[in-house]
Amino acid sequence: MAASTSNALNWFLHRITGTFLIFMLITHFWVQHYDHQAASVTHEVVTEQGAMPDYPEEAKEGVRARFGPDAEATPYQVVMQRLADPVYAVLWKGFNILFLIVALHHGFYGLNNVMTDYIRDPMGRLIARSLSWTVALGLLIIGMYSVITAGW
Amino acid sequence: MQLNVEIKRYNPDEDEEPHWESYEVPAEPLDSALSLLLHVKWHEDGTLSFRKSCAHGICGSDAMQINGENKLACSVLVQDLVGEDAEDGSTITFEPLPSAPVIKDLIIDQSRFFEKYRDVKPWLITDGPAPEREREQSPEEHAMIEDATKCIMCGACTHACPSTWADPDYLGPAAMLKAYRYTFDTRDDGAEERLDVVDSPDGLWKCYTIFNCNEACPKDIDITRWLSALKRRAATSQASTNA
Repeated sequence: MAASTSNALNWFLHRITGTFLIFMLITHFWVQHYDHQAASVTHEVVTEQGAMPDYPEEAKEGVRARFGPDAEATPYQVVMQRLADPVYAVLWKGFNILFLIVALHHGFYGLNNVMTDYIRDPMGRLIARSLSWTVALGLLIIGMYSVITAGW
Repeated sequence: MQLNVEIKRYNPDEDEEPHWESYEVPAEPLDSALSLLLHVKWHEDGTLSFRKSCAHGICGSDAMQINGENKLACSVLVQDLVGEDAEDGSTITFEPLPSAPVIKDLIIDQSRFFEKYRDVKPWLITDGPAPEREREQSPEEHAMIEDATKCIMCGACTHACPSTWADPDYLGPAAMLKAYRYTFDTRDDGAEERLDVVDSPDGLWKCYTIFNCNEACPKDIDITRWLSALKRRAATSQASTNA
């Protein structure tokens, strides 16, 4: 059978990306949403600033009012500073781009499977697959642009 | 005990839609579910239709949905369905296997199921002349396919698979298990031909390792495991073809 009709490679990548996602999701949630202070140390913070940027007090009060007195939020500035850092940005931009590629492939291969479960006409399947991978490519371009330009 | 047996009945000559009918059936805990159906057919309603042949879990003809799960009616006991100390009036339901056209009552049209079976070329394919004596295989080599050879083609697995429910053209676990059985048979030379069939849009990659097939199999075959081995073989074969 011609390679173009085989889903062997996509199936294989789905397993690989699934394994990657376990570790990348944990890292992402830890760094982005949980312990941003410890995991977001940047070159600038260490050498110049001496403290992490933070939300304005009014914004933090709003978060605490909604989610409880101990609630914390990851400040946008921290993320931007991390991605602007001359030393650590390469690591985090690389991480985010890899995360983006892995998540998009995993998600859209899954979506393709769901669609082709219910679309059985070969032309319909071709259109659905083409459309979904086009959307994935669009999201990849937007995502990569955002990550690469963020903070720079 | 006196059981309430509910059977999904359908006669295409009289009914527009399937409907449920209830029967009072005397039973013992060690009776088989099949014996309940036989009681209904012999003593209550002779028009009830279902397949059965050996009644010993070998022919695989009486696969059906019992209490919502695909099982062989001859191989499941009343006590396993309602418990040893079930009270009178406990209910057991019988339906045809899902996602297949119903011919009558509990009898499904198996044409599509066996078409898929034939598609995977479930026979020994060999190159060259036949040997003088038998084609030899070591016990270790046979161990690879031993579990898969237990399949009795009852269809419980294929009709328990959500991929089959969604896509009736999906090859299904039974046919692909057969593909595994011959592809991994060391005496067989037809692996590439079979991999061409299973590595298709309605084939191997629509197995999402849901494990319903394992749960339904009356022979306890580890179907998902063998299909995963077949996937790995198809993927490596595809990789070496493209290399």
